[in-house]
Amino acid sequence: MSRRFAVVALVLVTIALVAAPAMAQEAGAAAAPQKNMWQFVGAAFAIAIAAAAGALGDGRSIAAACDAMGRNPGGAGPIRITLIIGLALIESLVIYALIIAFMILAG
Amino acid sequence: MHHEHSFLFEPLNKLLIAVFGPPSQKYLHLMGAEHGQVFWLPDHVIMAAFAVLVIAAIVIPVRKRLSVEEPSHLQQSLELVLSGLSSLLDDVIGPGLGKTFMPFIGALAVFIFTCNIFGLFFFLQPPTDNTSTTFALSITAFLFYNIVGVRKQGLFRYLRHFAGPVVLLAPIMVPIEIISHLARVLSLALRLFGNILGEHTATGIFFGLFPFVIPWPMMGLGIFGSLIQAFIFIMLTMAYIQGAVVVEEH
Repeated sequence: MSRRFAVVALVLVTIALVAAPAMAQEAGAAAAPQKNMWQFVGAAFAIAIAAAAGALGDGRSIAAACDAMGRNPGGAGPIRITLIIGLALIESLVIYALIIAFMILAG
Repeated sequence: MHHEHSFLFEPLNKLLIAVFGPPSQKYLHLMGAEHGQVFWLPDHVIMAAFAVLVIAAIVIPVRKRLSVEEPSHLQQSLELVLSGLSSLLDDVIGPGLGKTFMPFIGALAVFIFTCNIFGLFFFLQPPTDNTSTTFALSITAFLFYNIVGVRKQGLFRYLRHFAGPVVLLAPIMVPIEIISHLARVLSLALRLFGNILGEHTATGIFFGLFPFVIPWPMMGLGIFGSLIQAFIFIMLTMAYIQGAVVVEEH
C-alpha cells in the first residue's frame, strides 16, 4: 500500500486514541453497600467448584493426549497443539467463574 | 481492587493537564475515576498506545533493511513467526485463502502478545487486564469475520447460514445461532481479560510475599500464559473466519 495510506491510517489511529476516553465509559462506582457474610461464602464456593471441575476436565484431556502420543509418536506435534487449545478452552470456563466470584465480592 | 499505575501514567497526564487544563467532573465520572484522581487518559489507553510504539520500534527498522541475501537476526526471527502464522492460517482456514487474512491475524497476535507480556514488567501495566481493551479486540474480530463473510458470500447467502442446514428448522436455529455468535464476543473478551487479570494479580501477590525468588514460577507461568492466550485468541478468530468464509457445496 502506498505511503499516503499509511499516513491516513496513522492519523485515524491518533484520532481514535484521543476519542477513546470519551467512549471508554466504565461504570461509576457507587458507594459500596454493606458487606454480607454470604458474599464470601458464595465467592469461595464458586471458585472452588469451578477449579475442581476444571481440574478434572483438564486431567482427562491430558490423559487422553498422553495415550494418543504414546500410541502414535509421530503425531505428537498436532496432538500437543490440540491439547493446548483444549486446555485453554476448559480454563476459560474456570476464568468465567473467577470473574463472577470477583463480581460477587465487589458487591 | 487497587491497581498500580505504569511509569507513563503520571508524566503523560501531567503534561496533558498542563496543555489542556484539568478535565471536567463529568468527564472524570464517565472515566470511572475514583474520588481525587484526575487524569485525561487512563492507564490502559496509554499502555495500548505504548505497545503499538514498541512493536513499531522493533519492526520498522527491520522493514527498512529487509534483505534476501543477508537477513539480520531479527529479520530471521520475525520470518519464523510469520511462517508459523502462515502455516497455521493455511491449516485452519484453507490453503491459499488463509494467507489473505495474514495482516489482521498477524497484527492481532503480535499486539495481544505484547500487551500481555507487559504484565511481567514492574514499570508497565498490561492493557489487556482491563475489559475495555479486550472487548475492543473481540468486537473488532467479530466485525471482521462478519464483514469478511458477507463480502465473500453475499449478504443473503451469509444470512442463510444462520438458518442451519435444514431451512425448515430456521425458527429454532436462528435465535440459537444469533446467541452463539454474540456469546463468541463475550467469551473471547472475558477469556483474555480473566486470564491476564488473574496472572497479573497473582504475580503481584507473590511479589508482596517475597520479592526475589518466589515470583519466578508465577512469572514463568505468565510468559507461557501470555503466549497461549494470544494463540487461543487468534485460533478462535481463525475458526470463526473459517466458519464464515467456507462455501458449502450442495
